[in-house]
Amino acid sequence: MLLLVQYTLIFASVLMLVALGGCFSEHSGVINLGLEGIMVIGALGGALMMRALPNSWAALPTILVVLLGAVVFAVAYSALLGVACINFKADQTIVGTALNMLGVAAATVLVKAINTAADPNNVSSEIQYVEAKKKFLVNIAGFEFNWFMLIAIIMLVVAYVVLYKTRFGLRLMACGEHPQAADSVGINVYKMRWAGVLISGVYGGMGGICYILAGVSLWKFENGVAGFGFLALAVMIFGQWKPTRIALAALLFGLFRALSNVYFGFPFLVALNIPGSVYNMMPYLISLVVLAFTSKKSRAPKAEGIPYDKGQR
Amino acid sequence: METPYAIEMLHITKRFPGIIANDDITLQLKRGEIHALLGENGAGKSTLMSVLFGLYQAEEGVIKKDGKEVTIHDPNDANDLGIGMVHQHFKLVECFTVLDNIILGVEPTKHGFLQKDEARKKVLALSEKYGLQVDPDAVVEDITVGMQQRTEILKMLYRDNEILIFDEPTAVLTPQEIDELMKIMKNLAAEGKSILFISHKLAEIMAVADRCTVLRKGKYVGTVETAKSSPEELSAMMVGRNVNFHVDKKPAHVGDVVLDIQHMTVASKTHKKDAVHDVSMKVRRGEIVCIAGIDGNGQSEFVYGLTGLEPLKSGTITLNGKDISKASIRQRSTSGMSHIPEDRHKYGLVLDYSLEDNLVLQRYFEQKFTDRIGFLRRDNIRKYADRLIDEYDVRSGQGPVTAARAMSGGNQQKAIIAREVDKAPELLVAVQPTRGLDVGAIEFVHRKLVEQRDAGKAVLLISLELDEVMDVPDRILVMYEGEIVGELDPKTTTQEELGLYMAGAKRDEVKA
Amino acid sequence: MKKNLLKNAAVQSLIASLLCIVLGLLLGFIVLLFINPSGAGEAILAVVKNFWNYSRANLQAKNFGNTLVKTAPLLMCSLSVLFAYKVGLFNIGAAGQYVVGSCACLYAALAWHWSWLPCLLMSIVVGGIYGAIVGLLKAYCNVNEVISGIMLNWIGLYTTNMLLATVKEPTSPYTLHLKTDATQAMLPTLGLGKLFSDNGNVTIAIPLAVLIAIAIMVLLDKTRLGYELKATGNNKNAAKYAGMAEKRNIILTLIIGGALAAMGGAFLYLTDFEQWSVTQSSVPGMGFNGIAAAFLGGLNPIGTIFASYFIQHITSGGAFVDLSKYSSQISDLISSLIIYLCGFVLFIKYAINMGIAKSEEKAMQKAAAADEKGGAK
Repeated sequence: MLLLVQYTLIFASVLMLVALGGCFSEHSGVINLGLEGIMVIGALGGALMMRALPNSWAALPTILVVLLGAVVFAVAYSALLGVACINFKADQTIVGTALNMLGVAAATVLVKAINTAADPNNVSSEIQYVEAKKKFLVNIAGFEFNWFMLIAIIMLVVAYVVLYKTRFGLRLMACGEHPQAADSVGINVYKMRWAGVLISGVYGGMGGICYILAGVSLWKFENGVAGFGFLALAVMIFGQWKPTRIALAALLFGLFRALSNVYFGFPFLVALNIPGSVYNMMPYLISLVVLAFTSKKSRAPKAEGIPYDKGQR
Repeated sequence: METPYAIEMLHITKRFPGIIANDDITLQLKRGEIHALLGENGAGKSTLMSVLFGLYQAEEGVIKKDGKEVTIHDPNDANDLGIGMVHQHFKLVECFTVLDNIILGVEPTKHGFLQKDEARKKVLALSEKYGLQVDPDAVVEDITVGMQQRTEILKMLYRDNEILIFDEPTAVLTPQEIDELMKIMKNLAAEGKSILFISHKLAEIMAVADRCTVLRKGKYVGTVETAKSSPEELSAMMVGRNVNFHVDKKPAHVGDVVLDIQHMTVASKTHKKDAVHDVSMKVRRGEIVCIAGIDGNGQSEFVYGLTGLEPLKSGTITLNGKDISKASIRQRSTSGMSHIPEDRHKYGLVLDYSLEDNLVLQRYFEQKFTDRIGFLRRDNIRKYADRLIDEYDVRSGQGPVTAARAMSGGNQQKAIIAREVDKAPELLVAVQPTRGLDVGAIEFVHRKLVEQRDAGKAVLLISLELDEVMDVPDRILVMYEGEIVGELDPKTTTQEELGLYMAGAKRDEVKA
Repeated sequence: MKKNLLKNAAVQSLIASLLCIVLGLLLGFIVLLFINPSGAGEAILAVVKNFWNYSRANLQAKNFGNTLVKTAPLLMCSLSVLFAYKVGLFNIGAAGQYVVGSCACLYAALAWHWSWLPCLLMSIVVGGIYGAIVGLLKAYCNVNEVISGIMLNWIGLYTTNMLLATVKEPTSPYTLHLKTDATQAMLPTLGLGKLFSDNGNVTIAIPLAVLIAIAIMVLLDKTRLGYELKATGNNKNAAKYAGMAEKRNIILTLIIGGALAAMGGAFLYLTDFEQWSVTQSSVPGMGFNGIAAAFLGGLNPIGTIFASYFIQHITSGGAFVDLSKYSSQISDLISSLIIYLCGFVLFIKYAINMGIAKSEEKAMQKAAAADEKGGAK
């Protein structure tokens, strides 16, 4: 049971972080379908840091440096979305899809190259981080507290405050709802959209590194992040683009994802004798059902997905 | 040396590929005056204002503020100079509150955090001073159009703007709201604000403006003092000749009922209240019936319900004795209903299709154009398109294969009219068919409507333009808040009487 | 006359696509330079050469055949993407439709011992139903087809793994060989293999895929259905206004799209060229590469044939990279770079048109100036 709570919380943290990232991007008016790829690159940045850092480092600096690595990589990568979709008015769906594929391919190529350089016989795309991972965990009476749970809560509060209490948030949302109105009062729509996309990189990168640290202590980059970027988008839609509701939605989805990791710990679930694949597909099935019921009355930012063109008014 | 002018735009020229939008235009706005800018669609009013706001840079000419030359690169510069504008289509974020909309762009903050209390106080003070009643905490999508406009005005006042521009502000208002706006504008001018009032409505200009500058086809025609001028003079300046707005038509020969609507109700997409409530009416052969009203009183939803774009909540529609209340759009069309839609880009055309493909948009499935296996008969489509292009004088770069996108607005509208009229409908529904067209094209459209009527068809015109409402139809029905509130005879009624009905100040029991 | 050629939309598409390929290869090259500068040029060459890496003609022919075998399913997936895109839908679910198509034909072949034609039809039906789910959700529940498509990709993958686990080899995670256990389900070769030095995997799938591409083009350009579907894609409000059944068209489109992608699955697995691994934990890239091919082909069915071949050519070419320096995924890297660049196609066309307009304006000004001079004299 404790294990279920633990996994639920950690997966919910991932989903919430990434969904909040999507939330920033969409509130600025850019649909970020490339979150999956951004997660992979963020995970790569963090994993490379863990690989590079000596084990002798204390927990706090390790955590901060790993986080920084993930964020820097992911933000740089999300800039690819910004350039194409904001400055060149590219189709946001194509570019997002390309980023997802590119993320996995680039990470695999890079990690394999690093592994092969270190050991000519090693052609795997895996990075191990057994020791580094321990620094993220605190064992409280059998419950493995992961620092990411706290980080996720902090980032949630930050997202809420930034969106609803600051000048920046007000302007950002104006750009996603009615960019012409924002422009007419002197707000630079391109700048705000860039900000939205880069912030989604920050959140997406954190979510990425959190995801690969959630269960295992090595990661095979060929596998990407198993559609988590898209699950996060479903969480965002279910959460109606509002941080607090996103947090609740993430908990629900996190629970179903956690079940696939720990269902064998529950005798009554094992007794049902359902194949593991069913638990694996649970989160996707649930999100499909949830979307079917919530998409009709969506409160998506009105101008999202439409490239802003100063000339057209 | 003190000049009396708050802002001057001298000899402004702005070119776009292919056209000169502003050709040597001069506009001088005195402090504390209300100055009208008059011109038809495409006369260059919007371009001139965009230059003033730094959205475009003029190739020639200078802008002076209080006699000093200034350069304006973007709306921020304009704002710094104290220039503000109420746009024709409001620039309001619908899911924000009134207060958030007012402060957007000039938010009072402390360390980046919003200080809304401070802002609220200022807004309330301003709204009291100028009599602009608003609820700062209401969400924009829930408030009336009038309050939205007051929000826009407060946006300018909040920024301490001295020069206020109103771009066609009355198009969306009821006559009562218009009166109130006029009062507000005079108030503002009395407080020392300088006002530029963009319009093509002569009566309003005569009523409120001190002076008037007229543009025509991108050129400066002149500036007159309204007190020393007349509507006739302004009108002649605007269109370049004394136009006769009157449509020549023979007396109507009214026949059988073609369209019979009983108790039609259509739900609203945005509000809980029904957009169209219990409307009954009849349209007969050989007559043009016009539905008049202020924009947003349910006309659009009425048309959606009639043509099948939206389902009816209740009521029946009978076309030529056949109940079509639940019929699909296609069934209504093939039963003899033609529809010239309100928005030709949104509904009327597939812009990326060629002209010929657009001309068969309502009939591509007929045997003439599709063979039995389902292949298009391209040769017949071409022949048909050639005939329509010739008969309706639709002009385009490459004839039938021109992309609809590449055609001018007037010719796009001609293409739609050709398509809808040539279907030989029993009932022609024309929704704002002259919107955005120049005088020549407007005359063409009106002539076609009258031709249909004289050929014994039923014509239902939905219009927002008072001139059109008074001249074209044989009967006027006024729609107010989703209901028919009056039936008028254009030969005997006056614009004033019509206005009272449109504003909901007067209503009769109308039976169909 | 050169200018007129540049104005031609097809020529512009071709230029844009070639530009994407060149830039994609160039960017890939730069990435390789960063990883290991010594062998970057060779690696890119190996990818581009693909079967020409072999020196012997018969091996070249055989491997050319292998590339074609995998081009057929890719072409089907990209047709699926293209067809939906013409109607304004982004069928990222092609990947999952391909998966369930593979599942359907393999299961029918191995568990029920059906012969190839019913197996193929089974794939088509299952793929159509799978596509219809996306269509129904879009039409009636307003669910974004990209997100539902991705979800269904994963659902399809796990379902397939579960079902095919019943027909796998006892000691490996791979499904049984058709060659040994279900020869009746192998697609006929019609002797095509002989052209590729007896490559038994070369089947009717290849010419069939090309024929289907042509059929799709005819459907889109010459028929009433194509006219309706494209109108819906270009302006769905106008389509509704003209009485076209929007919801029906969305669903129909995704049924066809699903069937096409699923057929792709059958075109690969009914050749026994590959076996399905029931432990695979990521959705096969075929459907995603289909997106690349569709856009690289300028969203034209004929262009897509060539683009599919090119994408598969470099994907197969990845196997020839010196594995001590790089991994074979560099071809995935290049093809995803190409899709990214395809996002800029509109801009490239816009730039070409602006260039034309500018040079024309200059020419006109020159002509006008010349006239004036002439007049002055």
